Amino acid sequence: MAPTLVNAAVGVLLAAALLGAAFDRRAVVIVVAAAVLPDLDAVASLVVPGATNALFHTLWLPLVAGVVLYWDTTLRDASWLRDRAGWYGVRVAWVALAAFVVAGVGPELFGREGVNLLYPLHDAYYHVRGRLVFSTQEGIVQTFVALSAEGPGILPLQSPGTTASYAIPTWVNPDGRPGLSLGAERELYLVRSGWQAVVVASAAAVIAVRFGWSQTEVSE
Amino acid sequence: MPSTVVHVGFALLLAAGLLGDYYDRRALAVVIAIVVLPEIDSFLGPIMPGAHRAVGHNFVLPAAAAVLLYYDTQIRRESLLRNRLSERWIVVAWVGLFVHVFAHIALDWAHLDGVNVFWPLHDRFYRLEGEILLSTADGFVQTFVDIQTDPETGSRRVDTGEGGTTETVHVNNPVEPRDPSEVTDEPIDRRFPIANRGWRLYLIGLGLFALVARTLQGDGPIEDA
Repeated sequence: MAPTLVNAAVGVLLAAALLGAAFDRRAVVIVVAAAVLPDLDAVASLVVPGATNALFHTLWLPLVAGVVLYWDTTLRDASWLRDRAGWYGVRVAWVALAAFVVAGVGPELFGREGVNLLYPLHDAYYHVRGRLVFSTQEGIVQTFVALSAEGPGILPLQSPGTTASYAIPTWVNPDGRPGLSLGAERELYLVRSGWQAVVVASAAAVIAVRFGWSQTEVSE
Repeated sequence: MPSTVVHVGFALLLAAGLLGDYYDRRALAVVIAIVVLPEIDSFLGPIMPGAHRAVGHNFVLPAAAAVLLYYDTQIRRESLLRNRLSERWIVVAWVGLFVHVFAHIALDWAHLDGVNVFWPLHDRFYRLEGEILLSTADGFVQTFVDIQTDPETGSRRVDTGEGGTTETVHVNNPVEPRDPSEVTDEPIDRRFPIANRGWRLYLIGLGLFALVARTLQGDGPIEDA
């Protein structure tokens, strides 16, 4: 998995951008929790073979959640969520769902590890790697979408393997396979590259500015 | 450079998070203009060697701009800007400055030869590269700032990713696709990168997502609150 800190940072940025009038401490905590949630499948991988970046990173979960949320808030006569938590609850729920997909799954999909997008219906990890360049000599060069990619995947993306052949090491589960390996060396990455440091710093600065703001507004 | 498109993508996300009530098309356009403008230093390259990633890419000018903006709007009794502009555009200026520092300079800092951080005060390119991790074997490890102690002399060497100066560093860009000091007969290939890595495509996608989501969602609490 991409460092969970990066998932949380993107979650913070999405919360600031999308919560609007629902932006407060509680809502930010909920949205960031949703962004971090997918990484918990690393814990499940201690029992379920190959669960890392698969079990909670699959697209079916947010798809079902999105359909239920849409049905409840738009199609039903009386919305359960709106009755309980009002406009605030509906907004926070949608932004949390977006954070789950965009901030929780996204960095892994576009990063080095890859995500098992269609797990458990179709078992293959995918990652989006490549380049998109306009060159005066070669025209548009695009290698992100590979129509004839080799590997087990059915989506037009590169695939590093399946849950059986490809294990992702995490600090929770250093060898990526079921079973506790108590003696193993564990590495918890906070930031893995320069751009991730920039994203984390930006999120910290944005949250400081936003909460600083609301305090001065109250005091004035 | 990570392409300007990547900067704009990340800038859109940050701007959406910071503009608050002032978020609209005009405010966004101004912020994006502030972010894109520094790329003009590419065009200075042919006249002034090493200008790209130095003239428009440093932390000195934004800091100076922030000090001026603060002085004018907060400390002076009669503010030049407040007389001409409404509160809204002063907020937009602050957001533009913030986004310029984080979405443009900081991202370029983490790419290729980095940026000329203290230009024009001190001419030296710096590059932000490294990782931070907690390890059961080594404890807290960070490699952004590399401190090495020479075991024999005991002298310390601190490596913060220093590179060359405007004299020696040339960051390729579409205006000057290769180092002018290189002489070759190959045809010039001007490359306009859009996204050369997955994560750059991701940042572009993030910005577009924020933009679309803001358009789709309603304005605010409707009667039921």
